[in-house]
Amino acid sequence: MGSAKPIKLGAWIHGVGAGWEDWRHPDALTDASTNVHFYKKQAQIAEAAKFDFVFIADSMYIDKNSSPHYLNRFEPLTILSAIAAVTKHVGLVATATVTYSEPFNLARQLASLDHISKGRAGWNVVTSWLSGTAENFSRREHLNHDTRYRLAQEFLDVVKGLWDSYEDDAFIVDKANGRFLDPSKLHELNHKGEFLSVKGPLNIARSPQGHPVIFQAGASENGRNFAARNAEAIFVHYSSLEENRAYYSDVKRRAVQFGRSEDEIFILPGISPIVGRTQEEAEAKYRQKLSLVSVEKAVVALSRPFDHYDFTKHNLDDPFPDLGELGYHSHRSSAEKIKEMARKENLTLREVALRHATPRGDFVGTAEEVADRIQEAVEKRAADGFIVGESLPGELENFTKQVVPILRERGLFREEYEHDTFRGNLGLKKPVNRYTAQLTV
Amino acid sequence: MKLGVFLMGAGHHIAAWRNPETPADAYEDIDFYIHVAQTAERGKLDLLFVSDALSLTPLSHPSELVRFEPTTLISALAVATRKIGLAATVSTTYNEPYHVARKFASIDHLSKGRAAWNIVTSYYEEEAANFGKERHPEHSERYKKADEFVEVVQKLWNSWEEDALVRDKEKGIYFDPAKLHAINHRGKYFQVKGPLNASRPVQGQPVLIQAGSSHDGMKFAGKYAEIVFTAQQKLEDAQKFYREIKTLAKQHGRAEDDLHVMPGVAPIIGKNREDALARYERLQALIPADIGLAFLSDYLGGIDFSKFDLDGPLPERIPETNGNQSRRALIIELARREKLTIRQLYQRIAGARGHRMIFGSPEEIADQLEDWFRQRAADGYNLMFPYFPGLLEEFVDKVIPILQSRGLFRTAYTGSTLREHLRLKVPSARKPVLR
Repeated sequence: MGSAKPIKLGAWIHGVGAGWEDWRHPDALTDASTNVHFYKKQAQIAEAAKFDFVFIADSMYIDKNSSPHYLNRFEPLTILSAIAAVTKHVGLVATATVTYSEPFNLARQLASLDHISKGRAGWNVVTSWLSGTAENFSRREHLNHDTRYRLAQEFLDVVKGLWDSYEDDAFIVDKANGRFLDPSKLHELNHKGEFLSVKGPLNIARSPQGHPVIFQAGASENGRNFAARNAEAIFVHYSSLEENRAYYSDVKRRAVQFGRSEDEIFILPGISPIVGRTQEEAEAKYRQKLSLVSVEKAVVALSRPFDHYDFTKHNLDDPFPDLGELGYHSHRSSAEKIKEMARKENLTLREVALRHATPRGDFVGTAEEVADRIQEAVEKRAADGFIVGESLPGELENFTKQVVPILRERGLFREEYEHDTFRGNLGLKKPVNRYTAQLTV
Repeated sequence: MKLGVFLMGAGHHIAAWRNPETPADAYEDIDFYIHVAQTAERGKLDLLFVSDALSLTPLSHPSELVRFEPTTLISALAVATRKIGLAATVSTTYNEPYHVARKFASIDHLSKGRAAWNIVTSYYEEEAANFGKERHPEHSERYKKADEFVEVVQKLWNSWEEDALVRDKEKGIYFDPAKLHAINHRGKYFQVKGPLNASRPVQGQPVLIQAGSSHDGMKFAGKYAEIVFTAQQKLEDAQKFYREIKTLAKQHGRAEDDLHVMPGVAPIIGKNREDALARYERLQALIPADIGLAFLSDYLGGIDFSKFDLDGPLPERIPETNGNQSRRALIIELARREKLTIRQLYQRIAGARGHRMIFGSPEEIADQLEDWFRQRAADGYNLMFPYFPGLLEEFVDKVIPILQSRGLFRTAYTGSTLREHLRLKVPSARKPVLR
């Protein structure tokens, strides 16, 4: 066995699915994105499999071209609060933006989820960049990249400061003598910074885990630094073993430069596995997923990395056309990858379009093969674990029933939850309250 | 008769946490809240209600020192209950309409049509400092902003028409784009494009609640509110308020029954009135003076009581407040009318914060509730039990059956949504509730 540390696993609950046509699968629940039973069930599947957490993504701008899930979905903190009430161990990670929220309100809502769940909340910190979002929040200017990250750092610092408003032993709760609170253990933050001015205190105390676990998903230079400085878990796209190894070592190196230990930061690529009893069965499931996609929409989507080239003038069942240098300036690496794939596998235009719309990913095969891939990624330092999305209806449960037992057999994943809190199960220390820390210095 | 339970951790009484049978950490205990919610549902009550504030001081009421944030709390309660309505307070002064519209639409979906929003404009001046503002906006300014805020929220809830979601797998049509609308709101305080990324709420719109009895507050309620909470001590005042608010509603083209007036009331049940009073006195004796005075001072423009004799009357000059104006007036009136000393006043206020208290046997409690209801002073009540869960359990076990036997209250939920319980109309996309 390569890695001494257990693999971290999270389940990404994403309603009807990420694509525009996942909902058309015969077994798909078309209203999954606003169906509380669906969310409960997925969370319970993850918890039964002893997953570390469930994760909910988010954004706040739509138009008529948005995908079904984006068009109409639960707000993350409300659905996770509901899930908290019907689960006991699994972590609950909510995506929430710093760009269009007030730190006091967000600090409260996350702390409230942390209490409702008895120490299982997590916060995926995002800095909404979709220009349309500004228009839903009475803003005209979109902050530039650097500014957004400065704001995010200040915002996170304020939220953490507010979470510490009450020291852990602030509550005397002496019924006989009538003393509820020791006021000396309640602290105002009195923050005045570049973007934010917040006095505090927060009107909620720390949960059993101290602070919600901080997640982040930064790929840019600023994003990697922000993640390396602040995140306890980092969500990243899984592209290939090599690319992910490069990302892993880069971010861990940065974390160490910022004075942190490699072991307190987990890199978790997102994958959408498809598992079959045989390789053929897995491939058949993938083809079924492809068949849901309307090739017309796929061809439109394909045009984007190629400078909006109009593919409709080509025959769909001819080999992928030679486009010369097209795509070099707009989405160079995407365009190159697509051309490479077409060449290597002798694909027609139709096949390329469908593959691009519904990427296959590297985790399609038998349970053994998928487990091998997972183990390899962890042993080769491309990942500390994975966030598992549901590629097809039932695949999350399928993964937990077929792949997780193999990981367990190999000693790579837990048999039982070790701890009462999310932090505890991740093996992270409970942060010391900053005011208590000052006293002990 | 409409009945709601106003949840407040251990209870409304400032010393509720010291009550022997009440867990002292109730304010942050989700299991406690779930138990209270399920007890209320057992009693077939219309709704649960959670209030809020965005600031605190060390001398705040314990329920304001540590509290769940209301929308996350009612989301959890939604899956622990099946029928009872779920009302949460959110301020328009320190929030964004898009966030509020989303959260309540989300809760309405996950609760299958039981969400309600109590609209407040934040009366604690200290809240401003938590939101980067130099000063808290003054009273009428807050209501102007609230008016536009609610307008935007309603437009966002209305972004999706009723049958916009087609979900035809064979034809591959998920929704009808012609039935999804950006709102393109451009106003004085907000510019919001939309559409909302949540489909039409189950109830059409979550139920709107309002609780301000000032002039601006009442105007606002007449325009938007479907439930109006109010603090009323005397029958005549309550009847006057009831008439005025119903008139204001009618001036907006609404029917009388489109708005329910639900005064707050704290029922203390005993074997008889004396027994009930004695129970209450035991709680009163638990109030620490410094807490009680700070509590009272807060309502009275921050007056410093250290200069006055606690066993003497209120001083003549009481500072104005930018906060809760109607409550300040009510408390001063109460003190003068009943010739209360400062000590007696803080004890009264700490108990029910200026709301009406009723004492008696279960029959006597039912009589008092029926009385105001029959005399058009109330369409129902927002029940504010001094401590939980005991007083709620007694109410459900002893008073509800009496109200039921008198034909005043339901014996079973006949509907599933809060609108159905309250017999409120469902706003449609073609005739939205937009003014």
